[in-house]
Formats: sequence, structure tokens, C-alpha cells
Amino acid sequence: MGIWILLPIFLPVIVGILLLLPTGAGAAAGKDQSPQGDLEGQNSQGDSGSQAHPSNGVQESWRIRFARMTGTFDESPESLSRLHTLTAAALIVSALLALAAAWSGDVSFTWFELMEGIPVYFQIDDVGRLFVTVISLVWVLVCFYSFVYMEHEGKERRFFGFYLIVYGVLVALSFSGNLVTMYLCYELMTLTSMPMVLHSGSRESIMAALKYLFYSMCGAYLGLFAIFFLYQYCDSITFTAGGTLNLALAEGHTGILLAAIMASLIGFGAKAGMFPLHAWLPTAHPVAPAPASAVLSGIIAKAGVLAIIRVVFYIVGADFIRGTWVQTAWMTLALLTVFMGSMLAFREKVFKKRLAYSTVSQVSYILFGLSTLAPTAMEGALLHVVFHAIIKSVLFLTAGIFIFRGNLSRVDQLEGIGKKMPKTLWCFTFASLALVGIPPMSGFISKWYLAQGALEANIGVFGWVGPAVLLVSALLTAGYLLSVVTNGFFPKKKETGGHLTVHAAAAEAGNADSRETDAADAVAARNAGQAITADAQETDPLDGITEAPAGMLIPLAILSALTVLLGIFPNPLIQFVSKIAAAVL
Amino acid sequence: MNFANLLDNYEEAVAMVLFVVGFSNLLLQPNLIKKIIGMNIMDTAVYLFLALKGYIEGHKAPIVVDGVQSVDAYVNPIPSGLVLTGIVVSVSVSALMLSLTIRLYRRYHTLNLDEISTRLKKEDL
Amino acid sequence: MEFVQNFPFITIILALFSGPLCSILKRRAAKWVNTVMICLVLGMSVATLLFTLQTGEAYVYQMGHFSAPWGNEIRVGVLEAFMAVFFSVIMLLCMLGGRRELAEEVEETKQNLYYVMVGLLLSSLLALIYTNDLFTAYVFVEINTISACGLIMIRQNGRAVEAATRYMIMSLLGSGLFLMGICYLYDLTGHLLMSNIKEQVALLAASGEYHIPLLISITLMSVGLAIKSALFPFHSWVPDAYGYSTLSSAAILSSLVSKGYIFLVVKIFYRVIGFDVIRESKVINVLFVFGVLGMIFGSINAIRENNIRRMIAWSSVAQIGYIYMGFGLGTTAGITASLFHILSHASTKSLLFVSASGLTDVSHDDTDFFELTGAGYRNRIAGVAFTVGSLSMVGIPLFSGFISKVLFASAAYDTSGKVIPAMIALALSTLLNAIYFMKTVIRIYTPPYRANLTTDTRVIAMSEQPQTAVVLMLFIALNLILGLGSQPIVNMLTQGLGMFG
Repeated sequence: MGIWILLPIFLPVIVGILLLLPTGAGAAAGKDQSPQGDLEGQNSQGDSGSQAHPSNGVQESWRIRFARMTGTFDESPESLSRLHTLTAAALIVSALLALAAAWSGDVSFTWFELMEGIPVYFQIDDVGRLFVTVISLVWVLVCFYSFVYMEHEGKERRFFGFYLIVYGVLVALSFSGNLVTMYLCYELMTLTSMPMVLHSGSRESIMAALKYLFYSMCGAYLGLFAIFFLYQYCDSITFTAGGTLNLALAEGHTGILLAAIMASLIGFGAKAGMFPLHAWLPTAHPVAPAPASAVLSGIIAKAGVLAIIRVVFYIVGADFIRGTWVQTAWMTLALLTVFMGSMLAFREKVFKKRLAYSTVSQVSYILFGLSTLAPTAMEGALLHVVFHAIIKSVLFLTAGIFIFRGNLSRVDQLEGIGKKMPKTLWCFTFASLALVGIPPMSGFISKWYLAQGALEANIGVFGWVGPAVLLVSALLTAGYLLSVVTNGFFPKKKETGGHLTVHAAAAEAGNADSRETDAADAVAARNAGQAITADAQETDPLDGITEAPAGMLIPLAILSALTVLLGIFPNPLIQFVSKIAAAVL
Repeated sequence: MNFANLLDNYEEAVAMVLFVVGFSNLLLQPNLIKKIIGMNIMDTAVYLFLALKGYIEGHKAPIVVDGVQSVDAYVNPIPSGLVLTGIVVSVSVSALMLSLTIRLYRRYHTLNLDEISTRLKKEDL
Repeated sequence: MEFVQNFPFITIILALFSGPLCSILKRRAAKWVNTVMICLVLGMSVATLLFTLQTGEAYVYQMGHFSAPWGNEIRVGVLEAFMAVFFSVIMLLCMLGGRRELAEEVEETKQNLYYVMVGLLLSSLLALIYTNDLFTAYVFVEINTISACGLIMIRQNGRAVEAATRYMIMSLLGSGLFLMGICYLYDLTGHLLMSNIKEQVALLAASGEYHIPLLISITLMSVGLAIKSALFPFHSWVPDAYGYSTLSSAAILSSLVSKGYIFLVVKIFYRVIGFDVIRESKVINVLFVFGVLGMIFGSINAIRENNIRRMIAWSSVAQIGYIYMGFGLGTTAGITASLFHILSHASTKSLLFVSASGLTDVSHDDTDFFELTGAGYRNRIAGVAFTVGSLSMVGIPLFSGFISKVLFASAAYDTSGKVIPAMIALALSTLLNAIYFMKTVIRIYTPPYRANLTTDTRVIAMSEQPQTAVVLMLFIALNLILGLGSQPIVNMLTQGLGMFG
């Protein structure tokens, strides 16, 4: 029975790998680089137009046939629409399967033994349920958005291939039932999500991807170090609410165990953007395609949170670290990150970078909630996991729309954008308000619980320092997000000098783009070129920019509606997370 | 361990000194031919040591003469066998080293290994 | 006595005599004789392994008609048979994977010689695995060295010859020390058969007599073999020898030749001296320190290297360090971890060499790091294989490298005092590994954006080189088997180690 858990994991992974397969004699990605590849690409376009096989039917291998079927053979519109249909179908089917598996009761399944006593083991519990639901929701909606967006970036086959694989890995991560399985999925997630960061292939993106990789790996190895020690002192490495630490065994080894736990907090905190391993976020986000940024911030950063929840509440047990230096250090780091992230976001001028710093700050809200080890704060943290995933996706998708329509990547270019794209900016406004925490938006509820939990918890001075930092950070959040909204809707009086600089900045951005992309990356180069010519002809940089296409707006609207709706009707969700918190604390 | 002890076992001491001489020659000499000579000294020292170990004062070579089969009459034959095997190995290794030396000399006209290395780095093959 | 019990001896002789046969045959025929010979050795080793698994104990096979204290014998248990199987699998894959390079890089007249050398090498490896006589071990160590030297210098460029010379010099230093150690031990115990030496050594250790000469002997043998297997401060020949020899040679040298010596070290620890005596002597601590240093310095040098073949060679230095670190832990768990790492490293390193060659083929035959940009697209299977190898080296779960790291970590845990340095070294070297391997993986999957690179690179599809593709897939499969089904293999190693001493 339990083997069905594997289905939603492997379906997207297999489809993703099939999309990544080469499509035969050099016509694959080699098409972008080699002259022969281009020739073949043109030939095949002609062929597919007339729907006739090439005369040399011998070369028609199964791979080419498969590529025709899945729309990965060339970049003609009909081919692309096939690719989109396949991706969407695979993703929706596996999301439904994952949800069905998650909500059909507690299932556990041992797949095979990796080593003696270390099985690859999946089990579904409430935390997994919560995460898999959020992941599936955001993943499907962002997928529809990226069908439109990725026209701008090109190389769609690769993107969607990895997009599907990462989904499968994330489902596996949510379902994983012991430490080693979780670690395995965690590493796979890092590796498979990395190609989404280096999608454009420019030097900057490669350096960013390397940075992402090293931060994640450093973190994961710190985590592995901890896993190793915990394995020695725990009754089992299977996740059990309340922890499995054998206190009799741990007697006398408390010092090293606490150090190991701290290592895992810092290590897994790297993914969640916690100080001191947070620096990959602001580097990786600006270069990644917008949908990739959205899921990196919204979902993959949460995987770090999931790993920390698993280690602290399901293996170690909250009681073991309550009142120790580890808890103090954890709270300090989380609060420091909350404040620092907000400050950096406030000062940042590049829009996506600003959002990345905002993620650094907001995910540490969650970590702070967890670090208090108090039930109410933990409920707040889990609520914030859901809300922040949705809100941050909206914010990044909006940023993507600005880039998609007019290469507007800096905050000062967005003055007056509300006149051109009112719907987009309204979505952004709702999400911003929710993130700041203005009632009745969703963010208010999670922050309320976080603050209340911190006050209730017996954590000494942090009981009031915590809420104070959260409040200051909320103000800063308002400062850096709502300023975009006010400037967008109510631009300051335009000065000629003013928009000349803006114009120069846009042209510069265009130039930089064309320099970065590889010579043959036609799509991106054309877009950049268009942007430059458009800017050169028009006096107003925002002229010619129209509302985002429906394919992007609809997912955006659904997500922003959710940010409001979850704030107005939060009760079922609150009940669910309080069940989780009650079980582990 | 005192000095008299060392004097008593002077043969072993000589073997060890020879071994160290050969070893350091093989390791430190830049000249290939001298390296090979060092290697041969080292190997010979080992054979000397082995032969010493097999030799028992007053006993004869282990060839049965006049029907004397007593163990007390002969020296231990095994080390001699080992020395023979060792010599065979040593000869083949020396031959290989010499052939390598010839090849390097034809190409670079020097026997100095360090010089060859620096030249190779310049060549950057 | 059952017929299967003859197989170990037959494999040694078969490999030995395939050499001279190859020298008189035509080139094509020699190639096939060699392949068939390795396959036969493989088959017979599998049969031996099954037999020993079935009986569950090691057996002694007497050579000639002299019995124990004087005669020569070979001793076969699960561990020996398993190693023989594994070595012949790797040998077969390396030969098949490097066949095309061999034809291109080596003069036609010399190719027969290559098969002679390979036959000799396999024979000496098998003998090192099976023999129960210390002096026989020495002779085959020398045969191994000579044939390995032949493998390096078969490609006649200056770098390769110079590397072969350096390799020979280091090896001779190592064999000199090793031989001296054997002579000491013979002097102390009066035996050459390993099992008999062990009895005498146990007596000596119990009485406390000849403590220092015994220590010297252990040190000489361990250090000699450590030099020959390129442990850290004695590694200077490695990058050149692996970097400039032909492909099969590099793969065989890094994955088999050094492993043969290391297996001999295990044998000396367990069967000649006895592990308790070894543990009491402080030699293992020295090995531990040099192993750890090797792990770090090998990786650091690999990061600084711009030539992909030399980079992989430096990585070998680091991996040898891992193995000696496992020895240095001084527990059976540590030795098991090292033995597993021998398997893991042998399968991964040869995979890396073969795939790296596939990548350089599509990059103007240039091993320079920057020329490899985008090579992963031009030769897909090599790109995938290189990625798998890198992930395994870095220690990502699913692949063999992860298992060996976990084994090392848990072995280190059981020791007192070495756990912290071992853990730190493991973590640090893993991180360094990640730096240079991931850098390369990203490089080969970066689309070339500099125009001058796109002009005349060729593209190799999988169907063009089916043989290489199959070999690479087999290597990947081997890696996954070691990574996913490690438990039965570790059990087998433990069982074999139990009947080894």
C-alpha cells in the first residue's frame, strides 16, 4: 500500500528527466551553439510544419519521436504548447497524487535499506501534510505563470525538466520519515534546484549558482555532522513527535550533543537564509528567472525550516535544548537575521535583491517562532511558513512581470508603473500589506501568534526583545515594500533630468543583458534589443508597457487572493497547526 | 645497547650504513645514473644483510656431501635463495631504469632529472 | 579438494601467461586474448567467491610439494576472492573504456607490449591478493611496479617518460624499505609464511623481547608500501603519471595498482603482524596523521589545478589519504571502511578518468579547464558520467562515496581521541572536494559563450562510440550498486576480514 507514496515522487522526476534527454544527433542543446545544430533545427522546423517525416527515416530514432511528441524538438510555437501541456499535466497529476497520498491518512513505507539500520523510509504526518500542500499549491500556480514568463528566458525544456524534478524531490522531502532519507532528499534538492539558478548561463549566474551550491553544501554537511552524532545517541532516527533522544545515553555527552545540534541549526539554517550562512540569497535571486526566484524563496528556503523542525522537534525533542545556550544562540541569530535582513532590504535598490533580503528577514521570523519552543509561537511560525510561501511568490512573480514587460529591475524604474499595470500592482499591494502584517491580511495572524507566543514563553529577556524586533522589522518591511506601491501609483513629479537617468539605466541594463547572454541565445538577445530600441525611441521609459498577459495575471491573482482569504478565514489552518504544535511541545 | 654490541655485529652495521648510503643516493642525487648506482648499493646492502642472517659460523654450504644429513652441518639455505631471487628482481629493475635513462637522455641530452623537469615545464606539453 | 579451489592459482598463471602469448600474436588477436583472459579471470574469481561464501571459511592452497613452514602457499577467503572479482571487473572496464585512446595514442608496434604489461599487472595483483608468503609478495610487488611503469611509459612523450622515471624512483625507494622490513622480520621470526610469522610475532610481543627491531620492521614495511601507494608526502609522481599516460593506464594505476599495495598493507596488519600488535605500536598514528594531511593537501592542490586529468590525479592523492586515515583509526571498523573506500574509489576514479577523456575529446583534445566549457553538451554520456563520479566523490547520498564517508565517520566515532580530527578532516576534505568537482561539473554544463570556442569543436553522440558509452553506463551502475546496496558488500567485507587473519 505504502509504495504509492513513491508515485508522486517519481512521476515528476521521470517526466522531468525525459524532458532533459537529448533529442538526437546534436540537435539538443547543442543547437544553441553549433552551426550544424542550427541547420538541423531549421530543417526540423520545416519538417514539422509540413508534418512530414524527413526522407532519411533511418535517423528517426525513438528519441526524436519522443521529442516530437513532447514538444521538445524545436522551439516552434506548437512545439512549445505541447511542452507546456505535458509539463502541466505531469505536474497537476503528481500534485493531485501527492495531495491524495498526504490526506488519505497516516501511511509509512520503507523502501529499501541504504545501510544496516538505515532504511530509506517515508512516512506521512501533519508537518509533511502541511508542507506538501503548500508546495503543491505554489508549484502548480507558479508553473502556469512560467509558461508565459519563460518565453523571455528561453531554454524552456531545461527549465521545466528541472522544475518537475525539484517538485518530485520536494514531495519526497516532505514525506521523508527519518533523518537520513531527509538528508538524501535535501542534498538532491540542492543539486536539482541549482540549474534553475544558472539558467541564463551568464558568468554572474554561474558564480551565483556556485555560491548557492557551496552555502547549501556547507550547511548540509554541518547538518550531516549533527545527524551522525544524533544517530549515536537516539533510540531511532525515525521522526517521532517529541523526539527520540535517549537521555540515559546522552548523559555526560550533553556538551558535544548541544554543539552538534547548533551545527545542524546553522547548517540547515543556510537554506532558510539564517545568519551567518544567508549570503547566497541576495546573489542567487537577481540572476535566476523570476519563477525560479519565487519558488527558491517561497518553497526551497522553507525546506531548511522543515529540516530544522524535524531535527529539533522530531529527533532531539524541545525539552533537551530548552534553556540551554543553544536556544539562546538560536534566538539571537534568528532575531539578528530578522533585523539585518530588513535593514538590508530597506537600503537595496535592485528590486529582486530587495525581495531576497526580505526573505532572509521573513524566514527568520519563522525560525524565531520555532526557537522560543513555545506552542503559540510555533503555531505562528507554521502559519508564517504557509503565508510567507504564498506572499513571497506573489512578490517575486510581480517582479518577474516588470522584468518581462520592460526590463525594469531597479526600484526607481518603477515610478508610475501603477498607471500602466494597475492589476499587477494591486496584487503586489495586497501581498505587501499581508507581509507587513496589516489586519485582516494573513501576515497579521502569523505575526500576532509569533509575538504572543514570544511573550508567553519563558525565555527571559527575549520575551520582550523578540516582539520588539519583530515590530521594528515590520515597520521596515512597510518601508521597503509600500514605498514601491506609493511610488507606483502616485509617481513624484517627473523631471526631464530624472527620466534621462532612468533611461540611461534601462539602456545600460539592456546592454548588460546582451553582453551576458551567449551569442546564440536569440530569444534573450532579441528581448534586450527590443527594450533598447523601445527606450531609444520613446521619451518615457514606461511607454509601451502594458498590463501583464492573462497567463501571468491569473496565477498571480489567485495567489494574492489567497493572502487575503487565509487572513479572513484562518481558523481551519490554525486548528491544524495547533494540532502539530500540541503534539511536539 | 652499547658500543661493544655494535662492534660485535659490525657486519649488520655495515649493511645498514650501505643501505642508508644507497637510499639517500637514490632519493637525493639529481643524476639518473648515480640514482641507479644508489639503488644497486641499497639492494646489495639488503643482500648482504640477508646472507649474514643465513650464515652460521662454522657450517658449510647446504650441499649434501658424504651423506652428512645433520642440520647442524649446514647454513640456512633459504636466505641464499632469497638473495638469488632478489638479484633477479634487482637486475630487471636496473635494466628498466637504464632504458628509461637512455630514452630521457636521447630526448633532452642531460642526465639531470631536475633539469629535465624544468625543461618539461617550459615545454608545457 | 574441490576443483574450484584451484581457480585462484589458475587465474594467476593464466594472467601471467597471457602476456607472452600476446607478444607473439597479431594486434587484433592480442586485444581479444587480453579481453578473454580478463573475462576468464573474472569468471573464475566469481566461482571462488561463491565457493568461499558457501563454505564460510578460508582455505590454504599448497604450492608445490613442500608443506607449511617451508613451502609456498596461497590462502583464499571471502575477502581475497571478492577483491579479485572487483579488481578484474575494474580492469576489464578500464581496458574497454580506454581502447580507443590506446589505438590513437600508442604506436602500433607497442600495442602488443601494452597487453603484455596488462597481463603481468593483473597476475601480480592477483598474486598480491592471494599469496600467503611474504617474499612472494615482495617479488610480485616488484613485478607490479615494473608493469605499472611500462603502462605509464607506453605513451612516448617526454612528460610520460619523466613521470615513469619518477614513479620508478619512488617505487624503488618504497620496495627497498619494504624488502628491508621483510629481512628484519625474517631475522626475528625465521619464517616467510605469513601465518607462521604471526605466531612467532605473538610470542615475541608477549615476551616483550626484540621490541625495537619488531617496531622497526613494521615501520619499514608500512612506510615502504605507503610510499608505493602514494601516500601524502610521497605523492610527487602522481599528477604527472596519471595526467600524461594513456587513458587505460591512468585509470588502472589510480584504481588498481595503488590499491594492490594497500591490500598488502591490510594483509600485513592482519595476517603477518596481528592487529593487536599493530595497534600497540604507534605506526598507525603516523599513518593517521599522514592520511589526514593527504586528504587536505591533495584536495587543495586539486583546486589549484587547471588540467582536468591532473586534477583527478590530485584527488586520488586525497582519496589515498582517506584510506590510510581509516587504517590509522586502529579499529576493525576503520579497516572495513578503508576497504569499502578502496572499492568506492576504484570504481569512481576510473569512471572519472574515462569520462574526462570523453570530455576532452570534444574540446580540441585539450585538458585545460577552460576549454571544457560546455563539453557536457557535446558528449552527453561522458558529461553525465563525470557528474555522477563527481557527486560520488563529494559524497552525495545514493552514490558510493557517501557510504564510505559514513563508514569512516562511524568508525572514527568508536575510537577515543581520533574522532574530532577525523571528523574535521572528513568535513573539510568533503568541502574541498565539492569545490573542485562542482566547479568542473558546472564548467562542463556552461554553454560556451566565447565565440572562439564554438567554431571547431566536435560533437560526439552516444551512438558514435557505443563501447565507451556502455562502459560508462556500467561504471555508473557499479557506483549506484555500491551506493544503494552497500550493506551486503559491507557484510561480505566484514566476514572476509574475520577469516582473514
